[in-house]
Amino acid sequence: MSTLISPHVLLAVRDNRQLLLKWIVALLVPLAVFTFLWNGEAMANQVLLGLFVGVSTSFDTITLIFAAIFVVVFYAVIITLSGYLVAADSGQRSVVDLWLDVLVYILVPLFLVIGTGLIIGLALAALVWAIYLYVRSRVFTKRTIKSGAMLSELAVLAEEQRGELMRRAVLGGFWFATAFAVVSLVLDLIFYVVGQLPDILLVWVVLRTILLPIVGYFLGYVGGLAAVRRTIAAKTNGNGRGVTNVSKKRRLEVLSTARALEEAKDLVPNDLPLSSTGAQRFYLLLLTAFILFYPFIDPFLFGPGTGGRLAGYGDAGYYVILALGLNIVVGFAGLLDLGYVAFFAIGSYTWAIFGSTQWGLLTGLTIPLNTIGWYFWPMLLVTALVAAFFGLLLGAPTLRLRGDYLAIVTLGFGEIVPVIFLELDQYTNGANGIVGVQSPHLFGVDWSGFTPGPYYYLIVVLIVLVIFANIRLRDSRLGRAWVAIREDEIAAASSGVNLVNTKLLAFAAGAFFSGIAGAYHSAKLGSITPDSFSFGDSVIYLAMVVIGGIGSIPGVIVGALTVYAINQFILAQLDTLAADPASFLHAVSAAIVQVFPGFTFGNVRNLVFGVILVIVMIFRPEGFIPSARRKRELRRKEEEGPEVGSLDVVPGAPGFESEMRIE
Amino acid sequence: MNMGQAGQYTNGPMLKLAHVTKTFGGLTAVQDVDLEVWPREIVSIIGPNGAGKTTVFNVITGIYRPTTGDIALAGSSVVGLTPDKVLVRGIARTFQNIRLFNNMTVLENVLVGQHSQLRAGVLGALFNTPRVKHEEAEARKRAIELLGFFGPALVERQDEYVMNLSYAERRRVEIARALGAKPKLLLLDEPTAGMNEAETLDAVKYVLRLRDELQLTILLIEHKLTVTMGISDRIAVLDYGRKIAEGLPEEIRRNEQVIAAYLGKAAQADQ
Repeated sequence: MSTLISPHVLLAVRDNRQLLLKWIVALLVPLAVFTFLWNGEAMANQVLLGLFVGVSTSFDTITLIFAAIFVVVFYAVIITLSGYLVAADSGQRSVVDLWLDVLVYILVPLFLVIGTGLIIGLALAALVWAIYLYVRSRVFTKRTIKSGAMLSELAVLAEEQRGELMRRAVLGGFWFATAFAVVSLVLDLIFYVVGQLPDILLVWVVLRTILLPIVGYFLGYVGGLAAVRRTIAAKTNGNGRGVTNVSKKRRLEVLSTARALEEAKDLVPNDLPLSSTGAQRFYLLLLTAFILFYPFIDPFLFGPGTGGRLAGYGDAGYYVILALGLNIVVGFAGLLDLGYVAFFAIGSYTWAIFGSTQWGLLTGLTIPLNTIGWYFWPMLLVTALVAAFFGLLLGAPTLRLRGDYLAIVTLGFGEIVPVIFLELDQYTNGANGIVGVQSPHLFGVDWSGFTPGPYYYLIVVLIVLVIFANIRLRDSRLGRAWVAIREDEIAAASSGVNLVNTKLLAFAAGAFFSGIAGAYHSAKLGSITPDSFSFGDSVIYLAMVVIGGIGSIPGVIVGALTVYAINQFILAQLDTLAADPASFLHAVSAAIVQVFPGFTFGNVRNLVFGVILVIVMIFRPEGFIPSARRKRELRRKEEEGPEVGSLDVVPGAPGFESEMRIE
Repeated sequence: MNMGQAGQYTNGPMLKLAHVTKTFGGLTAVQDVDLEVWPREIVSIIGPNGAGKTTVFNVITGIYRPTTGDIALAGSSVVGLTPDKVLVRGIARTFQNIRLFNNMTVLENVLVGQHSQLRAGVLGALFNTPRVKHEEAEARKRAIELLGFFGPALVERQDEYVMNLSYAERRRVEIARALGAKPKLLLLDEPTAGMNEAETLDAVKYVLRLRDELQLTILLIEHKLTVTMGISDRIAVLDYGRKIAEGLPEEIRRNEQVIAAYLGKAAQADQ
């Protein structure tokens, strides 16, 4: 069976050493930077001192416990990842190339985050990535280097070869953990000699040095399992009985280059194991741990000011929900919606009216303020349904419209709704808005106090639910119908897709999620006025979707966070810097103020967005993290020119014929 | 002729067009066309370019509404229904200039074709109930079976994007998509257009198999006379939107009016 596989795919045993070195260095350097230059070790030491030795630290016990869980999960995942990567690597890519990637994609952002904080650090890192990618693609086209994984290594692995992969994974986990243990030991001994390490922790140092290789052995095995699962097994091959029974290998072999590139990500052995689907699972695990324990590890990583940061992230969260909702309308179904803010406003006002004294004034049914928070949970659903209902209401008259016309009507809707809230004074208090909107209540959890933690977790839960719903909808019969409509309305209708219902559902689903965001927004803010919902907001929501990658769920999440970061952090930071006489920005902004009196960076946020949008559209029209579909579409359209696939009028409706060319 | 062999429709035609006229403003694209297609028949519509053949298809499938006249499937009128409703009644179609969803895979295209057969709603999709899961799995199985109708090549390439397929393969995927709705009547708009001789021969074979193995009734538009003459039970000829002749292939071949309007032109062009 071993003849099935070409020699370069599975390296000879003597090459294992080279492979191990390649990955141990690639992973160990960033991990050491995190542990010793940043606060990884400090966090672990604080936890040990606080929990086991009984030394009082500046953190409470709960924080320490959760930080401990995070530390354990974090290091365990990294060690497992090392096992996976060693096993999954096909050895095609040069060591230098990989180390360069690790430097740019992991070390640079790590140092930037350590130096400037999370948001600014990531923003700067994104800039570095953009420059790196640009230079790289320039160099590659000049020297005609072919980049990217192919299915060249497509091979069926026999049982003994899978065993070899497992052995490699175990070796990878073991040696990586051992190397890390040795590096830690040496550094800790230096710290001890210098006198920075309490004597009591020496016990831990010894224990850790013994434990790590053992743990590494077993975690490497787990990583190996993850890698072997993605190989093509010999036994699934070659039982092609009947026309409809085709082996996985055969199916992969006949794929075109473009499609093979996509499939190659899933498979082991892999040319680019760092970006393979298997590795992405580990990143997701790390990200989940980070987000879940963030409020507890934030003080270790970024020092004082946790509360303010958490409150900021809570606000960023509803942007994410809005972007995900708008993505259904714009990304999946391809209906341009310029008035999305209307549904957000409707959602916000629904909870604001119900969750304040306004409800009692309007209906005479007074709910005691201390119990009103309990109604937040059922009202979350009601609010979303109210918004969805208005989504249908907007959808109905716009169904006959295409592209630009549809956009104009939705724009109008977005303008009308805030005006209605402004003018209906007896219900909404007009321009004064509604104040005293109540926060949610749940046993023992206090949302109304000054701890932003609960709101952080509330938005995390809501985002997870919304992402989940998005994925389910995308992969369902309905999601397929949305894409079909976007591609070709006539063909979709002729394939049995009811255009009217399907489009209405897209509007309703999008509005539903913005209703959730609205309820959260008004509860968190505690007050709400009509002027916080303007056309500019609709444009910003659309920018989040476009910048992130239309139709791509991870894309729009990143897009939302990016836009929020620029909006709330970076421009504000620039203004702070400009006000500081020591900064070079001070001179720059002083010069600008000479020409444009009253200039601040915050004031020109729309200009900044405009410039960013233009740059993104020119250099990366498919967005930061494009959906595979969208990427292909844009690439094809460049070659073939645009294609008209949608209609002004529903087929079969009177007046439709005038739209059609007579064939 | 296979007239009257398909059980429940023995009493009448599968498709009946009665005095169908379609005008676009001042232009009459289809004028007073009568046509009957009986169960398990293969009927061809031929005619010069611009004769209104595709317009007839668009009128039948609900993309256009006939200006006057009636269209009935198995005795009940389908006039005024939207294309998706017409499909549910049992008329599926393909397009002259293949209209597949180019950025979807082969399998996804065929799954969209089964849209009307599936029941999953919003809640079903959100909670991925066992029923929905089962339905999706069945739909996938059936999609692969439909692709398998054309041999193993498309089954192997089920994960490919249709824009990377050959022209002939795309035609087949389009038919597989149309079959997803379990139609009784299949309208094929130039199923061999742009194909070479071998591919055309292959297409002829599977059109016959569609009728013989899947008991379908087929109405097709075709330019290649060798194809129409070979597989049609009957042929209708359109010229300037009017039906100028209808009959067995042999009769059409000898019909003077047809020769004048259609074959004559071709014959002249050949010389």
